Amino acid sequence: MNAGSGAAPLIRSTALLIRLRLRRLANQMTALSQGRKKPGDKARTGNPGKKSSKIILYLAWPLMLFVFGSISFTAITNLHGALDPPGSFWVTVEFSNALSIGVAYLLIVLWTASLLVTVASGELAKPEWDLEWLITLPVRSDTLLWARIAERSVVNPSGALALLPACTAIAWFSGYRWGAPLVGVLAAWPLLLLAALVRTLIDTGLRLRLRSAQLRNLHAVLSVLSIVLMYLSFSIGLKGKSEFMLGLAESMPGWLLYTPMGLTARMINERAFADAILLLLALLAEVGVITWLGVRLLRHVLRHGVVAGGAREGARTAPGVADTALAPDAPAAAGFPRITLSAVQRRELTLLRRDRNFLVQSLVLPLLIVGGQMLLGTSGAASTMWTNPNVLASVAFGLAAYSLSMSAFQTLNSEGQALWLLYTFPCSIEDVLKDKAKLWGVLTLAYPLGLFAVGALVTPSLDWKFLGAMLTALLGIPIYAFIAVALGVFGSNPLEQQQNQKVKPAYVYLYMSLSALYVYAIITPQPAQRLIFMVLSILLAAALWQKARDQLGFLLDPDASPPPRVSTSDGLIAVMLFFVSQAVAAAVIIGRGRVTGAAVLVAFSIGGAVTYALMRWVYARAKTEGVPRMLGEDASRPLLGVVAGLAAGAAGVLYLFSLDALDLLESALQASKSYANLGLWTLPLALIAAPVFEEFIFRGLIFGGLRRSFGVWPATLASAAIFAIVHPAFSIIPVFILGACAALVYERSRSLLAPMIVHAVYNGCVIGAQTFLL
Amino acid sequence: MIEFQELTRTYGDFTAVRPLSLQVRSGEVFGFLGPNGAGKTTTIRMMMGILVPSGGRALINGLDCHSQRAEVQRHVGYLPDNPIYYDFLRGREILQFVAEMHGMARREAAGHAVRMLADFGLEEVVDEFAVNYSMGMKKKLGLACALIHDPQVLILDEPINGLDPRAAREVQDRLRQAAASGKTIFMSTHLLDMAEKVCTRVGIIHRGELTATGTLEELRARVHQNASLEEVFLKVTDEEPAQADAP
Repeated sequence: MNAGSGAAPLIRSTALLIRLRLRRLANQMTALSQGRKKPGDKARTGNPGKKSSKIILYLAWPLMLFVFGSISFTAITNLHGALDPPGSFWVTVEFSNALSIGVAYLLIVLWTASLLVTVASGELAKPEWDLEWLITLPVRSDTLLWARIAERSVVNPSGALALLPACTAIAWFSGYRWGAPLVGVLAAWPLLLLAALVRTLIDTGLRLRLRSAQLRNLHAVLSVLSIVLMYLSFSIGLKGKSEFMLGLAESMPGWLLYTPMGLTARMINERAFADAILLLLALLAEVGVITWLGVRLLRHVLRHGVVAGGAREGARTAPGVADTALAPDAPAAAGFPRITLSAVQRRELTLLRRDRNFLVQSLVLPLLIVGGQMLLGTSGAASTMWTNPNVLASVAFGLAAYSLSMSAFQTLNSEGQALWLLYTFPCSIEDVLKDKAKLWGVLTLAYPLGLFAVGALVTPSLDWKFLGAMLTALLGIPIYAFIAVALGVFGSNPLEQQQNQKVKPAYVYLYMSLSALYVYAIITPQPAQRLIFMVLSILLAAALWQKARDQLGFLLDPDASPPPRVSTSDGLIAVMLFFVSQAVAAAVIIGRGRVTGAAVLVAFSIGGAVTYALMRWVYARAKTEGVPRMLGEDASRPLLGVVAGLAAGAAGVLYLFSLDALDLLESALQASKSYANLGLWTLPLALIAAPVFEEFIFRGLIFGGLRRSFGVWPATLASAAIFAIVHPAFSIIPVFILGACAALVYERSRSLLAPMIVHAVYNGCVIGAQTFLL
Repeated sequence: MIEFQELTRTYGDFTAVRPLSLQVRSGEVFGFLGPNGAGKTTTIRMMMGILVPSGGRALINGLDCHSQRAEVQRHVGYLPDNPIYYDFLRGREILQFVAEMHGMARREAAGHAVRMLADFGLEEVVDEFAVNYSMGMKKKLGLACALIHDPQVLILDEPINGLDPRAAREVQDRLRQAAASGKTIFMSTHLLDMAEKVCTRVGIIHRGELTATGTLEELRARVHQNASLEEVFLKVTDEEPAQADAP
């Protein structure tokens, strides 16, 4: 390395590299933000790019810097508390020797954790996008190495997140106050340079030395380590969680002060200018020597060519050796007829067995991350879960749900660029996805089953509460496997080369928040609410699955999308809209006055009309297919409606009589305040408004939407179930029967008039019975 | 039989395939020729249900390639331009998987896959991970995937592009074999001597528009008696040089 001749090209190529990276980043951002091409723009761009998560990106940075900053501040305070004698005063700017060692230790932990996170988040076994190309440029390869290291010392988000706040915190405590961020940034750079060196040694150097199977295994190990270390480094800065790491801090040797991290800490803390300069020089010398040695080592590793040759040879020799290692399990897989798995499921299991990284990401990391959250979090779940079955069940469900986000959610991404193969098979892609959803729904049951087994041993008595919570959690997992696969269809970019672009974060967050919703079903003490949440989750799964299914024919198409059709999800939106607009109308009309029958009728009708009008307007604008019609082509079968209505009404009256016979009727009626005495206004409400609006939503949209993708019976039962749970608890059973009858009549008549008649006749029967017979 | 009815595809303002109507009869080997970026791959992807037509439709054996894709694939074998396979799976396993997805029983699929790979001269690499294959091996594996269920129709996107002379010859021999056994073959290429050797009829697509179709003799007659296919191709695709760099 001749500095004289290399200096100018080095600076130039470093600047070029950095510019290239930033330009690429900027192009990605604008591709995200523009979404569509401008009308006059005829250039062929990449895929138009579906927009998402931009705001999250912008917000995340300051927020994360703030969070990491506050953790760093607390970490140093904690170290001070642990290492300095009690009562020694904090404001003395100069750190004690022990505290200096402690801060050096903090920097070492943070540095290592951020390095591992960076390495683990890339793909070790694949060369980076630009390497093969860059090496063909007329730049000497060691210049390229220096440039790469310099560039990576600047463009290193996780390193910056870990080290900048920590150095800033040290500077703050050293009395720099508002100059601290600047000092922090400058002081962190040598450490970032070292991180860049080690990272390059790992990903460029090791890539040539190890076979790709070994690299994947190493990657798996590193990603586990990175998570563990990340949690450990967080824990220093969390109140009440830091004992372990502070204990380690006490036993740290003094020579840490002479490591680059120790020198950095001392340099920031040193207020005597001359001494600080000395420390800086020592630091730079140390970093310089290490980097120089590292680059020598890299040059040695790369002496036979930089990328292409090595990577290909590695790949060539790999199978021959890997064969003997992997061959024995192939016959074992062939003689495995106990459970009949589909070809897709067997392939997925083979991949899981061979791809250690996939295995770790989908099954091991969830344990570490959820475990880490519980141990470090403030919820106290770690201590209460063995005594409270609801907490145990929530943790079990959370684990499985998290695991699903790394596995089932990634269904399309695991097909990756080979997705085209699915299009050559004579089966629908939906069936393939279904196979995968089932597989993951069963595999991830391992977490709750394991936890419940331990829970059953530990808990003093197995009671209904334990069983109920357990069953709810277990039932939720297959449901959420389907939700994860469905959302994954929208949330993944299988054709994307870059690992970190493969998932759209917004959909992961959506999945996570939906999972959190189900946790409510587990912790709620009321069985009725549990039922409601389960029905809602199943319907949600069906609705999302349908949306995903519509999308499947269009997966590989960069800009075509499915034609708009009435979907179950429209029905769910309409239900929400109906309730919200009704509540708003009621609040406006009734205000603080008395609830009158007329007001209820008007509010109900406004809510229904608003919902109806909005949905029809949206459908008309989008030219949606399958909008429910009031009258069918052939006579609409009003008589069928009357007959079915009488049947449902008879069931309802029978139910009322049996409640009465059991002396439950009074309490049931009192429990449901919505059936307040509305007088004669009940009649138009029950005979006209309710049938008209509710049939449009529950039969027209929800049943009709479900029916598009499911058989008559599943659609009937599911639509009747959601219809039942939005009614008062005591009437769930007869309303369910009504919903089923109306759905079947709608199925026959293909128009809304008949189910409206069913609804009106049923209401008439029940009100008549309540008024005249009871 | 393959039929395009006013098949059209646009990307935003860019028209990749202009309304395209064409019939390929059973047993024909149809060469779909055109310069790079003419719309060949777009058309083939629409036949495979990978892209959705912006207008018109593509039919194979009377079935719509988009709305009845799964049914269509029963009769179709497909080799993409650049076949990419699952990581961590061996050539043998991929072919077995494909066979199973086409409804073969597991044992049968495994045996069939091994035989077929041996037949394609891949016996030495059956146990290598397919991602490590060379381009020629990948294409051969792709062809094996396309043929494993003995389809009536073969759709091939640049089948010998990027192959060395020997591999190219082997693939051409296989295609002739397949044609002789009565399969309909629709293949895109810009390698004209390949088209001359294998195809019974060709169509030339230029800027998304089918500018010429016919047997080789018919096309030659358009230029002059002894014109080579190359001359025909250059004439047909070189009418508007001024706009050459527009899209």
